[in-house]
Amino acid sequence: MTKEELLSKLKTIIEPYVQNQEGLKQISEATNFIDDLEINSANLVDIILDVEDEFGIEIDNDGMDKMLTVKASIEVIQDKLATK
Amino acid sequence: MIGDDIVDLKLARIQSNWRRKGWLQKIFAESEQEMICNSEDPDGLIWKLWSMKEATYKAHQRRFSIPRKYNPWAFVCSDEQVTINNYSYNTVSKHTDKYAYTISYTDQSNFISKVFTDNSLRYKRVLQNYVADVIGVKESSISIHKDINGIPSIKINKEAVDIPLSFSSHGSFSAFTIDLP
Repeated sequence: MTKEELLSKLKTIIEPYVQNQEGLKQISEATNFIDDLEINSANLVDIILDVEDEFGIEIDNDGMDKMLTVKASIEVIQDKLATK
Repeated sequence: MIGDDIVDLKLARIQSNWRRKGWLQKIFAESEQEMICNSEDPDGLIWKLWSMKEATYKAHQRRFSIPRKYNPWAFVCSDEQVTINNYSYNTVSKHTDKYAYTISYTDQSNFISKVFTDNSLRYKRVLQNYVADVIGVKESSISIHKDINGIPSIKINKEAVDIPLSFSSHGSFSAFTIDLP
């Protein structure tokens, strides 16, 4: 899966939790879920569960720690897909 | 060292479905899950524990200037205490049928806090006012900043001062706590 495909899937996953739609329009690797998209911190768990379901992976605590930005999330997903 | 966190319970019920498979397990230790299972008000307890974890995260992050992480699972609550690695924090919570609010702190410090229930973002202004009053400077000389890790700080006449403070807002509620010298 290319990075673009990953980003597109991730964008679909996070969309329902985004409170700042302007931030979503300008989404990039640097996007921070809380600062830029105003996602409620309790909803990051839902994003992690959705990512697990979508990609058929399990995200452990170390992976979860990092999932605050688009870039870090893509890296965690790629890492878990590679060891699947 | 202090941190605080407020949860609008009505909004939390809309935003989060904690009964979703895997949700509790991602956030709560087994001991906490047991507390939740045995509770007569699991919904209320979940958000109280969440606010304890978040408030302690902020206090801990400030204490050690830690870059942001998403690790609510690492903060383990028991009664009024929260432990992260080998560090313990005391907490005080105010829990109503509308919100859950927690302040987490390391020592019996001189903190004050205020909760706003009027859906306003007045809290920053009120805080500036309060600091100006206590320190004896003009309100306009006080500014509030966030560093790269998202940790808030106060400047007086553009000079950084070492005054621990924390903000939180969710839905209709907001709050601050500050530990003035």
